[in-house]
Amino acid sequence: MRRMDNINILPLACVGLMLVLMMMVIGPMIMTHTQTPVDVPKAHTAETKIEENITVTYTIDSRLFVNDVEIAPEQLINAVTSELEKDPYQLVVIRADKNVLHKDVLEILSKVKKCGAKRIACAIKKSDG
Amino acid sequence: MRRRKRLRFDNQPDELILNSLVDIALALVIGFIVSIPLFFESGIFVNAPGVAKGKAGEVSDIKVNIHLLDDGGILLNEQFVTYEKLDELLPELLARSIERKVIISTEPNVQYQRVINILDLAKQQGAGELALLRIRK
Repeated sequence: MRRMDNINILPLACVGLMLVLMMMVIGPMIMTHTQTPVDVPKAHTAETKIEENITVTYTIDSRLFVNDVEIAPEQLINAVTSELEKDPYQLVVIRADKNVLHKDVLEILSKVKKCGAKRIACAIKKSDG
Repeated sequence: MRRRKRLRFDNQPDELILNSLVDIALALVIGFIVSIPLFFESGIFVNAPGVAKGKAGEVSDIKVNIHLLDDGGILLNEQFVTYEKLDELLPELLARSIERKVIISTEPNVQYQRVINILDLAKQQGAGELALLRIRK
């Protein structure tokens, strides 16, 4: 019986690498809810890690989304509360357009706090400069 | 009759040289790890807004109290400062503070980007906690 001298690991390595790269790209997309297009402000500080979160998006035309599902402003408290019931320590990310008024964002933050959110962060895009 | 040349495989190496492949793979992975934060959004932790009665700073004993004005002006502990001066003064003030807490309040028509710029600056200068204040009129 003829024995193979070497195992050809080249295809295995290629497939493994592709899987790693795909997971690195797709993983954050699944865990975060950033499908709604918003021009978030730029900053140098980036504190939050990529983790599963509740995303409240506020667009320039004053539309409100919770986890990429559009809601009416009066539904915000109910929507966030029902999400927080699954995990009270879940991070709540406020994705607001950089050109909106800060008082509107404060209003959203205030309502999110009323829902019992313990960790709140403002979404930013890391500027490389 | 044409003679067909036979391919010879005698010169082929016995083993694959994987060094170059591993180098490229590693460079790709490192490249992705470095560039992913630029593609995906991150965040700055903030304390949800509290409510102050009256003007900001009136009943506050916190050392770093920033108030943003509609016209672009900045008040640091009720003193007018420029952005550059704020950049200079913040580390000194934060060094004296135990909690290293920065409280930010704004006038009604301030853009969100301006607030984020101040939050970013405060974090870069060593602020431990950022709080956004809502002013009750």
